[in-house]
Amino acid sequence: MKKISDITIIDDDAITVFGLRKLISSSIECKSVESYGNGKIALDAMIHIFNNDQRIPQIIFLDINMPIMDGWEFLDAFIKIPIKDKIRINIVTSSIDPFDKKQWEYYKSKSHHLITFNQKPIDRNKITEITQVA
Amino acid sequence: MIKVPLISNTSYLIRQLPSPTAFIDTNYNIVQTSDKWTSIFNKKNESSNSKSLFDVFPNLSHKWKMVLNNCFNGNPQPMGIHQAFDVNDKELWFEWTNAPWYDNEENIIGAIIQLSNITEAVKNELELNKKDLLLQQQAEITKIGRWEYNIADNKLFWCATTKSIHDVSPDFKPNIETALFYYKEGHSRNAISMAIFEAQDKGKSWNNLKLQIITATGKEKWVMAGGKPIYNKGEMVGLIGTFQDIHEQVEADIKTIDNEKLLRTLIDNLPVNVYIKDTESRKVLINKAECEYLGVDDPNDIIGKSDFELYPYEGAKKSREEDLKVMNTLRPILGKETINTTLSGKQTSFLSSKIPLLNNKGVAYGIVGISLDISQLKEKEKELRNIINIASVQNKKLLNFAHIVSHNLRSHSANFSMLLNFLENEKDEKEKTKIVEMLTRASNNLLETLDNLNDVVSINTNTNIEMKEIDLNSKILDTCENLASFISNNSATIENNIPVNFKVKSVPAYLDSILTNFLTNAVKYKSPDRNPLIILNAEKKGNYSVLTITDNGLGIDLEKYGEKIFGMYKTFHDHKDARGIGLYLTKNQIDAMNGKIEVKSKVGKGTKFKIFFNEKN
Repeated sequence: MKKISDITIIDDDAITVFGLRKLISSSIECKSVESYGNGKIALDAMIHIFNNDQRIPQIIFLDINMPIMDGWEFLDAFIKIPIKDKIRINIVTSSIDPFDKKQWEYYKSKSHHLITFNQKPIDRNKITEITQVA
Repeated sequence: MIKVPLISNTSYLIRQLPSPTAFIDTNYNIVQTSDKWTSIFNKKNESSNSKSLFDVFPNLSHKWKMVLNNCFNGNPQPMGIHQAFDVNDKELWFEWTNAPWYDNEENIIGAIIQLSNITEAVKNELELNKKDLLLQQQAEITKIGRWEYNIADNKLFWCATTKSIHDVSPDFKPNIETALFYYKEGHSRNAISMAIFEAQDKGKSWNNLKLQIITATGKEKWVMAGGKPIYNKGEMVGLIGTFQDIHEQVEADIKTIDNEKLLRTLIDNLPVNVYIKDTESRKVLINKAECEYLGVDDPNDIIGKSDFELYPYEGAKKSREEDLKVMNTLRPILGKETINTTLSGKQTSFLSSKIPLLNNKGVAYGIVGISLDISQLKEKEKELRNIINIASVQNKKLLNFAHIVSHNLRSHSANFSMLLNFLENEKDEKEKTKIVEMLTRASNNLLETLDNLNDVVSINTNTNIEMKEIDLNSKILDTCENLASFISNNSATIENNIPVNFKVKSVPAYLDSILTNFLTNAVKYKSPDRNPLIILNAEKKGNYSVLTITDNGLGIDLEKYGEKIFGMYKTFHDHKDARGIGLYLTKNQIDAMNGKIEVKSKVGKGTKFKIFFNEKN
């Protein structure tokens, strides 16, 4: 098992959050897994962490369709935070809308973070693959 | 033996003869001349005596020898007219006469030649011939023939041209009766008969009578006839006149008139506006369509007017600039799309062309304009574009819906597969129970999603929705009653300002859903700082009945979310009951009834929704 300090899940679907947590805890060793119900809460938390010189989670699982602030809006704001570390952001979605694929390519090229695009469902193999530290 | 004439005594007498006279002997030698003769023919009064007549007049033909010979034999013959030149080489014409010259014993010893100067008469005759010739040529060239009618002997003379116009042979002998029969029966014959009668009766002349004849060969011809009586010592002796072949001219005129008529018929019946303008951009010609467009019956109401008198200033100025450009560059404007506004404010779309009119020097003397009214076409185009827009919006909606459906179903199925996978590998009974609970929840979520999708599909596929006139107030009362506990639990107040008997056209079930959704939302997204106050107003506006729902709730950041607020599964407040389906359904229902929604909102202040119910459909 790999050692990762912090993982964050941003998703409004309780079942997905449950599943991801379960997969993470059974396949990798990590200090803490935080989850947020939408982009806004998550962004506020990230900004708070950054401003208090705490460590930004190394891996973020990000849903796209969420109330208040969706995944893209979160990403747009997140990559503007001057974080030096390279964060791994795993977009997890069931969307097959080409628009979402384009958005991903756009943000991927704009940011120094590692951004991946993943279709649901996520299985154990996949989780191991996408929890490599960026 | 030749007798020598005795001259000594008589010579003085001869010299004094008043007319040019010469005496010659039978050898044609000049024996004696009168002073008159000498003065005409002899230089420095030298005597031509004893010279041969033919030496002095080398032009005289030897044929005259014969005549003179006959004279010597006592048979004098007239010698006729002969040209001669005097000492100054001036051309003179003389009539020569001769007589035998007898001596005392009645023997012919020679001939006496006397000349009478007829130069003047000859010249006059030549002039006359020339004039005759000229007249004849003129007649041939201009095709103007002449005729003369002599009343006394009832004789009619036609000149060669007159004959040729009648297609008769040059030796044809016309008379007044047959002459009249060449005129075509009816107007032509009546007119000429009348003219001749009036000329004879009243001495009236006629001219420029345009008449038709039928020639000897049966051809119809247009002629111009003129004539007048002639008098001798105050008495009418005849008629003279001219007769002109104007067939080609008349035919050309008729053709021109025909062409003009044809052109006029053409341009008047063309389904386009046609006009011609002069260099000052004044209308010179307009067709019927242009008359109709400008709202006049008579083209003369427009002719002579410039665009500045027919159109508002701005348009006229632009048009004038265009005209000038076309006339200066000689380059036509073809098929340009324009919108013209008349003084009455009528707007018409045209496909207009302006083509320069050139004179034979290649300079523009005006323009011809052709405009095709494409207003209807434009209207159709607009309609079509509208339809395309609707179709593309529908298409977009459909695609969006497909993505939503796929996303939702996929996300549920992904959850199922994930949970089932966990369940399979789970040993812990407690954890197993938790997973099953999750599965049940996922299943319920899926059912709800399917219900929602079904609602959306049924709104969008129900094409013959039944619209009814519904009293808005009673519907609102019903809705408030249904929501009574929800409203009172939230301490909400609903202020209903809708006029009594205000009717809207709607599908009853849709109206229920719309009212429930908006009222619920207005209460649900209340501000934490105050009790919800919802104000309802209604008014008629054009084709619409407009219901306005104003709340004092949280408000929505429209700059940020905009049209997304009507999107499916879009929620903007962190509210446990927000499902993101209500507004989406409502919007679909209103769209399905050809209505629309407008929204205004201020974060922290509240939201105002305007729902437009289409009353026309």
